[in-house]
This record gives sequence, structure tokens and C-alpha cells, in this order.
Amino acid sequence: MSTKTEYKLIGGYPQDMRNSIKKVEATRKKRAGKVLEGMSLKEREEVLNQCHPDFRPGGKRKIGLGLNKGNIAPNEVADLIEAHPLVDPKKINLKKIDHDVDLLIIGGGLAGTAAALLANDGGVKTDKILLVNKLRHGDSNSIMAQGGTQVADAPEDSPPIHYLDAFGGGHFTNKPEVLKALIEEAPHSLKWLVDLGVLFDRTEDGDFVRLAGGGTSRKRMHACKDYTGMEEVRVLRDEFRNREIPTLEYCPVIELLTDPTTKKVTGAVIWEMETGDYKVIRAKATIMATGGFGRLHVRGFPTTNHYGATNDGVVLAYRAGAKLRDLDTVQYHPTGAAYPQQIIGLLLTEKLRSMGAQPVNVDGEAFVYPLEPRDVEASALIKECYVKNKGVPTPTGMQGVWLDTPLIDVINGKGTIKDSFPGMVRMFERFGVDMVKDPVLVFPTLHYQNGGIETDPLANSSIDGLFVAGEVSGGVHGKNRLMGNSTLDCIVFGRISGRTAAKYLKKNKTAGKLSFKHLERYEKLLKDAKIKTNRKAPMVLPDYRGKEALERMLDIFN
Amino acid sequence: MAKEKNIMEKIAHANQSVTKGIDPKDVKHWAKIYIMGKVYEVPADLTIMQAMEYAGYRFIHSCGCRAGFCGACSTIYRMKGEYKLQTAMACQTRVECGMYLVQLPFSPAEKPIYSVTKEPYEGNSFLKYFPEIARCVSCNTCTKACPQDLEVMDYVQAALRGDFQRVAELSFDCIQCGMCALRCPAEIVQYNVSQFGRVMYGRNGFPENKALKKVVKATEKGEYKKDFKNLLGLNMKQSKEAYKKQQATKAKFLKGGKK
Amino acid sequence: MKKIPYYPGCTLKTTGKNFEDSAIATAKVLGLKLLEIDRWNCCGTVTSLTQDDLIHHIASVRNFIRVQEMNERGEVDDYRLLTLCSMCYNTLKSVSNVMQERPDDLDKINNFMDREEDYKGGVTVVHLLELIREMGFDEIKSKVKKSLGKLKVSPYYGCTLLRPKEVALDDPEVPTIMEDLLNAIGVDVIDSPKKSMCCGSYQTVRNPKTVVRLGYEIIESARKRGAEALVTSCPLCAFNLDDRQKEIKLEHPDFERMPVFYFTQLTALAFGLKKDVNNFDLNFTDPRPLLKKKKI
Repeated sequence: MSTKTEYKLIGGYPQDMRNSIKKVEATRKKRAGKVLEGMSLKEREEVLNQCHPDFRPGGKRKIGLGLNKGNIAPNEVADLIEAHPLVDPKKINLKKIDHDVDLLIIGGGLAGTAAALLANDGGVKTDKILLVNKLRHGDSNSIMAQGGTQVADAPEDSPPIHYLDAFGGGHFTNKPEVLKALIEEAPHSLKWLVDLGVLFDRTEDGDFVRLAGGGTSRKRMHACKDYTGMEEVRVLRDEFRNREIPTLEYCPVIELLTDPTTKKVTGAVIWEMETGDYKVIRAKATIMATGGFGRLHVRGFPTTNHYGATNDGVVLAYRAGAKLRDLDTVQYHPTGAAYPQQIIGLLLTEKLRSMGAQPVNVDGEAFVYPLEPRDVEASALIKECYVKNKGVPTPTGMQGVWLDTPLIDVINGKGTIKDSFPGMVRMFERFGVDMVKDPVLVFPTLHYQNGGIETDPLANSSIDGLFVAGEVSGGVHGKNRLMGNSTLDCIVFGRISGRTAAKYLKKNKTAGKLSFKHLERYEKLLKDAKIKTNRKAPMVLPDYRGKEALERMLDIFN
Repeated sequence: MAKEKNIMEKIAHANQSVTKGIDPKDVKHWAKIYIMGKVYEVPADLTIMQAMEYAGYRFIHSCGCRAGFCGACSTIYRMKGEYKLQTAMACQTRVECGMYLVQLPFSPAEKPIYSVTKEPYEGNSFLKYFPEIARCVSCNTCTKACPQDLEVMDYVQAALRGDFQRVAELSFDCIQCGMCALRCPAEIVQYNVSQFGRVMYGRNGFPENKALKKVVKATEKGEYKKDFKNLLGLNMKQSKEAYKKQQATKAKFLKGGKK
Repeated sequence: MKKIPYYPGCTLKTTGKNFEDSAIATAKVLGLKLLEIDRWNCCGTVTSLTQDDLIHHIASVRNFIRVQEMNERGEVDDYRLLTLCSMCYNTLKSVSNVMQERPDDLDKINNFMDREEDYKGGVTVVHLLELIREMGFDEIKSKVKKSLGKLKVSPYYGCTLLRPKEVALDDPEVPTIMEDLLNAIGVDVIDSPKKSMCCGSYQTVRNPKTVVRLGYEIIESARKRGAEALVTSCPLCAFNLDDRQKEIKLEHPDFERMPVFYFTQLTALAFGLKKDVNNFDLNFTDPRPLLKKKKI
């Protein structure tokens, strides 16, 4: 058994990558402070059609059943939608109710946590709220957000300007009134976070540091170093814990419950992963805040997402009769790590480019304006690698382009990288790469679920008793989301959903009956659509076990 | 078109080892590690987390963001032949030959209840909520246990003297994995101490932001209503025009220093 | 100006800011620059009386390493560590002695602290009062600009400057160092037999009643002999003797509050320094009415 490394690494890179780095260094001075011009709308369209995974043929199909029948979705999503429940409903006893609450919140990222706090502010008693988490409270895509939160509070900015940036960035497909709600509530949300103690980056005199992001026409990104999501989650979770709101961890929801006649969502069944048994929750209102779907690895892309990002919320809500939208577009973040192997796909925040890092090809040439909207930027990177063949090959056979991080210190002064990106510097250091001295290799990575459960400005879904917040929702970002609007989405619609649910609970004093009637209907739809499959959903967690080990698995205890 | 379709296939192929399990046929280098005492041969290029999956583990705990932010995958290990007990985040540490490891999915920790909005900004509130910090003997074990390389003992010391700013600054990168608390001989829960310090400093350490206050007020008064009504009333062509015009102002507003 | 490593201790950064500021200003007049050691940690607060309880000595040793580093970098002119708080003085000095006497234990501690450079020994601990005595009280006298003659003050030593005798900065039975200083700045010194009786120390947390009783005895003993104020060098004594006067008043309704000064507040007054270094706001019993009455 050999333990030697095949390649001799110099500062973390093999010789052939080093050669390319030399070329990047040679042009760095000339590129400093100069960026290529942005593309026109027409040029953007061209590169999207040529190279964006969403626009390339294959990889998608029409959904075969239900309210969104005929709508396009990635195969990986359609597979989960066109699937049977995980568990035979007959095996579940709904007569014994384990948790009887007013408000059930599914998912404890930023959206779910904010929802709990605002519901409590709106009059729902703490012991009548239950937040359930698939993993731990806070283990989420939210906690991984690096770049920042967009709020138009600078004197030269305004909410309407923010609105138009987001509308154009979403290719004018956003649901306008939902987007308006997001933007209008943004300043209040920022103030709320600051009042609860979120440590946003500040200037010497205590003002906010505001940065630009891809597609923004003003500087309005509020960051907490490169730990923005983590800091926001930490603070909201601390407030949540101070209010002693009940929560369950390692308890994914495997099915919603509905009233057989009114079709209202009346609770859920959770599965306790550690012990393997199920519990029944009755709730008068339910907020779905389960996040995104990166772990489906759409089109075989790696992902920035957390371990539990498996689209469960969309699947469960669709079965219960909720309408979906914009499932056809997937956000690929232009700059995922492409090297080394251990961190492929992980996010290298857009803030790097906000602060001056440029994408550069194998010959050390800049080839794109660094802050195009994400889909455009990602397409340009793919084009450079696979159409122009100017990518940098890695030992594992990937292609990538350089993100010239040392430029950040050249432009902003020595030490800026270490101060602004401590998390990332630390990550690369752990794997032998010094991003202060050397560029890092990037390639687009699966980042965000643009679409999801359709909502209105008050976070209502199309079915009674179910409210929606965060990445699992669809409409607010249209077909492409701008940087810094996701944490904002989670916080704003987390707040709105909590408020809406609290109001709803004042009028709706009973939960209704618990049943799996919606599953009967769904099975009939599957049958009518002639979909024959053994697939079961939701996925709950992905499976990365080694082939060798899997081949010898014995399932003795079940 | 055939060629272009190829692009997506090539990309998917290049990423297989990350998106699907690893095929032993593709592995060139191996490492021998010990998971809870049992020996496993795993690909040497993997993180501890990936290696455990390769060995057959399907995580139902000790795995969260897989990117070093959530602190769920706390792991302790000793290298064969060394006395030092080391800590790591399984998703952020490459396996090494001779690692004896186990994961610690949960750390029982007392968290005092306080109100961020009502608690007075006074130095002695650290001791009020965390009297055990007075038990710190400055042994520095917490600092040595921190997988984020934070100066944990230094911030506990800063808490002891009521220095909110220093606590916040030294602890900012804390991912709350719990290693410090599990190793502390004084049984301090360091990451809860610093969480308190940070929220208190975040709330009280800065002047009220006037620009934010202004826009909050303007929103409350409905000052943007008209602009929004106009924007929402535009047809597609007009929207595109307005967007183009706004994007053209970028250069003017995005210039200039950062800090 | 001579630069000396300075260890403030936790209390001097919060409730004892009046002590710290007035001490730094006083030292400046005497040609001393107090350079705060960086990354200092709590002294350990109370010295462990168990001989082999080495872990409780680590805190102090770590601070000595900071002093050693400052000397290696040539930032200071003194290998001694200056303290103000009596409790810190007592703890640091005890550990300094132990490390000097028991090299095997020092080895063990060095071994344990594998991330620090080894402490080579030799850092001694000195209280500001000792440094003042070293300069000579005549030197003090020569700096006095303002007469405090009408102020009747009784010095209060407490325990930690004088006990055990190995760390005592003066004769534990008949101390005079504070009297000498007060005489030099022209204060009317009132002697009290209870000047080195314990104030109750940490009993203040669990057993405040005892502290109230002791405080009452100490204050009334001084008052009976004509004192209008006490003077101390310990933030904990100050807390027990001064802040606890609220509780004394509850037990003894006819009790009158008596201000408690830090000795450096009086030197700052005598040297005619700016008033803000004294931070009288932080004294629990406001001494300003008394000073006003005495036209100081």
C-alpha cells in the first residue's frame, strides 16, 4: 500500500499548474485596477445559450403529474416528484399524537429561525411552536452563506433601485409583488439583525462597509467577513434559545398530513434518525423552510450546499397539493473550488470578485467582466474551459480557470485578504494552498434552487395552512438570483411567514383532522400519468458510500 | 450540437468522484486509518469525512455543511506513535496514515438565558451569566483544542475583565463545534461565553447607523410607494430599458475604496 | 522615563479604573512608564495553598513569560513585574517565589505549556508602594503641589499585602509603608488597630453578612480615632469596605458613609494632577463632598 503522493506539490500545486500560475503573475500588475467591460444584454444571452447548463439540451424533462404537469424541471428534481412516499401510510398510526402545537416550522436555517421569532412576537406562545430539523438547528445552507446580505441603505441607493437590479438580474421573470415585498422589508430586517447583535463589517467610524455584488448597480452588500450566514444564524439561534422555543434535531419530516375534506395541511410525520421510530405532529399552521437541492447534483455538478439540501420540502408540499414554479432554472455559482480534490465544489464567495479578484485563463489573460450576474459569469467560465480550451487541467481531470486572489491585496493593500476572508484562507491553508500568494482554481458549482413552492408577498402557499420561506420558495428571484439576496430572502420571508402564521392562528383555532388522503390522490395521479417507478421520496440525505462497501452491505436489523 | 452536449457530459464525468461514490479502480494512493479502533484502507486524497463514507459510513449525524462552517463534524484523533490528542473538523482535514479517530457529534453544554435587548452593557455581566469563567487557570487547553486556531483562552480572559470588543474580535470565527468546552478542565463553555460577548458587542458597540435609520423611516412613511408603483407598472420592454439605464450608472457608484 | 512591565489585573479594567488611571498618572510624575504586558491573563486570583497543585500556578507563570518576552524584545528596562491590585500582587509574588524555590515544578509547568517559550525564572513581582519606597519618600515630598493637610485618613492594609510573611511588602505586624507615603504627601494620618484585619474577602459572594459585620468594625474603629476616610490598595477591599456600606446602613441606621480612596488617588491630588485621572464617579461613596468641605 503506497502512501506517497504521485505529484510533487509546490506550495500545494503540481508543476504544470505552477507553470500556468507564472503566467498569471506576469500579467497581474497590468490587470490591477482594470477590468474588462461588462457584456451587453445580447452578449449575455449568447453565452447563456452556448454554455449554461440550463440552456443546453438534455438534463431536463416535463413534470408528468399534478398542478405543474408539463412544466420543465431538471431530471433529478422530476425523479423525486414522480416518486412514491417513503413509507406506506397504513403503517403509521395517526391516532397517537406526539406533539400537539399551534405552529410547526420545518427547517432551522435563517428562514425557519426568523419565522419562529416573529411568530412568537406575533403572539404565538413559545411552547406552542415546534421547530424540527433534519440535522442540527442551524446546519443549513444559510450558515454557509459567505458574501453578504443586500440592503439598499446607502445614501446614493434606494429600495426601488435594489428592486430593479434584482428584477433585471432575474431576467425580468421574478414575481413582481413578491420581489417588492422582499425589497421593502429589507431595511427593517437589517435593523432587526443589528439590534439582535449581528456584527456586520464596519468602517473605522462605525458605519457599515458596503460592497458591490454581481449585477448590483450600487454598493449594498452587508457582510460579516466571509462568515455572513454563520454570524446571522448564530445570532438568531441564540435569540431563539434565549426564548426557549422547543426544537427537535435529527428529525426529518418524511410526510405532511392533511385534513381529508378541507385539504388543509394539519401536521407532519417526522422520522427520528437516531432511533428509527416516527412521531406524529399536529399543527394548526405549518411553515416550510427546508432550503434547497444542491445535493441532487443536477447535471453531475458538484455543489456548495450542505449535506441535507435534498429538495424534501418541494416534494412534500407538491404531494399535499401546493403549486410550484421556476423549477427549470438552477443557479450555478461561477466560482466553486476546482482544486484540490478535498474541497471541489465548495463556495468561493462572489465577494472575492467584489474586492478585485479576476477570473484569468491558463495563459494569464482576463476574459470576462468579473461581476456579471451569476448565470452569465458561470457560462463565460465554462466557455473559456470547454469552448475556447483555455482552462487549466487538474490532476483529477477537471478543468478550471484561475481566480486571481492576490490581486485583492494589490488593489486594497496588504492584509486585506486575511482580514476579509479568514474562513477561506484557513480552508485553503488546511489543504496546502496560500490564496494570499497564489491564485485559486475555480469552476462553476451547483449553488441555488431558483424556483420552488409558489408564494405570495405574505408567504402563503397555494394551500391552506402551509406557509413558505427561504430557498424552498419560488418566484422571488425569478430565474436567477443575485448575490446577497438569498440571506435577505431567508430573513425577510422568515419574518413575514412568522407574522402571517401568527395572524392566521388568531383566526384558525383548530388544526383539523390528520390524514394521508393527499397521498391517495397522489398515487392515483401517478397511476393516471402511467408513471411506473420504484423511486421513493423525499431523499432525506444523499449517499456517498464507497462502491466496495455498498456491495457488501447487509440490512440485518430491518 | 453533439460536441456541445459533450461539454455537460465531460463536466459530469470530471466530477464523478465528488457527486457519486468513489470507485476503487480510480484510486492511486491509499491510507490506512483507524475508525473507532478498526483499521480501514481509504483513498489518501480524501477528507476524514469522505474517507469514512468510502469505508461505508452513511452519516446521520456528525455531518452538516461539509464546508467548515457548521461545526457538526468534530473529530478527535491521535497519530500512531504520538501522545498528542488532536482535534479536527472531519470535512476540513485530509486523512493521514496512522490516524486513530472518533467523532463527537454532540457536546452537552449549559447555556444561560438572557435578553440581548434588555441586558445592560456592563463588563460584569459575563461573570453574572458565566460565573465558571473565574475558574479558568489559563492552562490554554481550549486554545490547543480549537480546530479554527482561535485564541480561545485569550477571549475567556477578556470576558473575565469584561472586554466585549476583544471577546467579539478574538472569537468571531468560532463555529461552535464544542471542542474547547469538552477539553476545558474548568468546565467552561467557551463558545457560549463568546456568543454572549458578540451579541452584546454587536448590539451596543457601535453608533446607530443614520443612513439605515433614514431608509427605515422612509419605508414606514411610504416614501417609495410611488416609485414602486411606477416600476411594477412597466411592461417588459420598458423594464429592460430602465434596467439598462440603471446598470449604466454602475461605473459612477461602484468606484472607490472599500474601507 | 524608565519603562517597567505592568500587570493590571481584571478588576482594574472595569470597576477599578479609578485605581489604574490615578496610578499610571502618579507613576508618570515619578518618572515611571507603566507598559501593560500584552495578552496578560488573570493572575489566578487566589494562590493555591496545596503544594503540588501546579495547574493553579500556570496562570501566573504565563504572565511571567510575557515579561520575559518584553525584555527579550528590549521593550522595557526592568525584569520586575509591577502590580497595583493587592490580590494580584499576592498571587503573582507567591508563584514567583515557588518557581524560584522549586525548579522541578517549573520544569513540569514548562513542559505542560508546550506552545509557550520556557519560563527561565527570575521575574520578581513588585507593588507600586514598594517602588515608591525605593525612590525615597523625600522624592515624593518634592513633587507635592497641593496640601492635603486637613484630610484625616486612616490606611487600610488588609491581608494580601502583608500575609504570608514570604510575600509581605513590609513588616506584617507593624507595617508603615502606607503611613510613610501618606505623611510624605502631607495627609493627616490616623492609625487604627484594625488596619490589617481581614475585610471578608471572597466571603462577599456567598456570605455578605460577615463582610458587612467586618466592614462596620473596621470603619467604625477608624472613625472613633478621628478618620474621615480610608485608603487602600485593593479593589476587593474597596468593594467590601465601600460598596457594602449600603448594607451596613441597613443594619445600622445611624451609620454614616465614609469614603474609601485608593492611595494613588491621594497622590494624584497631592501632585496636582488633572481631576479626571481620579474617576471619583467610580468610588462607591462619593469622596467629593468631603474634599470640597476640606477645600481640596
